[in-house]
Amino acid sequence: MKYAQDIADATQEIFSSMVMLEVTPGEPLKRADNKLVDSISGIIGLAGTIKGMLAIHLPNQAALAITTAFLGMDVDEIDEDVCDAIGELANMLGGSMKTILDPGGSNVQLSMPSAIHGEEYAVDCLADAELVTVPFSFNGQTFMVELQISETN
Amino acid sequence: MEFAKKIVETTEEIFNTMIFMEVSAEAPLEQGKQALGCHVSAMIGLSGGFSAMLGIHCPETVGLAISGAMLGMEIEEIDADVKDALGEIANMVAGGLKERFSAEDIDLELAIPTAISGKSYTIASSTRSNRVIIPFSVDQGQFFIEMKYNLN
Repeated sequence: MKYAQDIADATQEIFSSMVMLEVTPGEPLKRADNKLVDSISGIIGLAGTIKGMLAIHLPNQAALAITTAFLGMDVDEIDEDVCDAIGELANMLGGSMKTILDPGGSNVQLSMPSAIHGEEYAVDCLADAELVTVPFSFNGQTFMVELQISETN
Repeated sequence: MEFAKKIVETTEEIFNTMIFMEVSAEAPLEQGKQALGCHVSAMIGLSGGFSAMLGIHCPETVGLAISGAMLGMEIEEIDADVKDALGEIANMVAGGLKERFSAEDIDLELAIPTAISGKSYTIASSTRSNRVIIPFSVDQGQFFIEMKYNLN
């Protein structure tokens, strides 16, 4: 699938350099059941000649472990710090994908990131867009990075 | 920049002309963490002159009423039609804001809309961003248009 390898590379690089965690990508998948349970998602928009949305979906436990590693402080509940950290991760992943989608650097820009969390929710791609989802694992935890992209106009 | 005023004007215009529903804006909510009690949302990113994220958040009954009015059919549950309708509204409101800011020489580009739905979710605001939330009333209750933005 287009961009799956780019997502895998960008995510591994950001996690090893910024979060100090080694993460392993799995096979790109098509999510059948899009329901997220006890999870947090960071999303950020890509706008310009290529439009899209990048999302990272993490079960709460994975989000807490990542935030703890990222901020270097213990967090044990989904609070403002965790939401900010996950939003910032989406921002960094969006930044990496932007450099791949728009090597010149002037045609695609990032929106502001946002974090969504809850006991049960779904995040759906609405536009007529391509969707690529790559699962990752680290220390027995998992998360997904997803890119929806529309290159038609 | 009058974010609240632009959001109110744009939203009223779209509901009057595209959805044929009367909406009335209420006073913007205080900044900070808000539990809006919503079951379906659509969000879209904006970037360019500043970066932002716009969202429309609806309780279930209001989401069904709005999408029903927009599509001209009775809708009984939050399904793909409802998500598409709200995504299209988010897209139109963002497009209306883009036009209004463009008149002030602030250029914006839109990303693509995403729907969030479920029994229980919270949309957090970055502690480093500005946030405007405007409630709008319709016969079935309230919905919210939210804009988070960073000016640099």
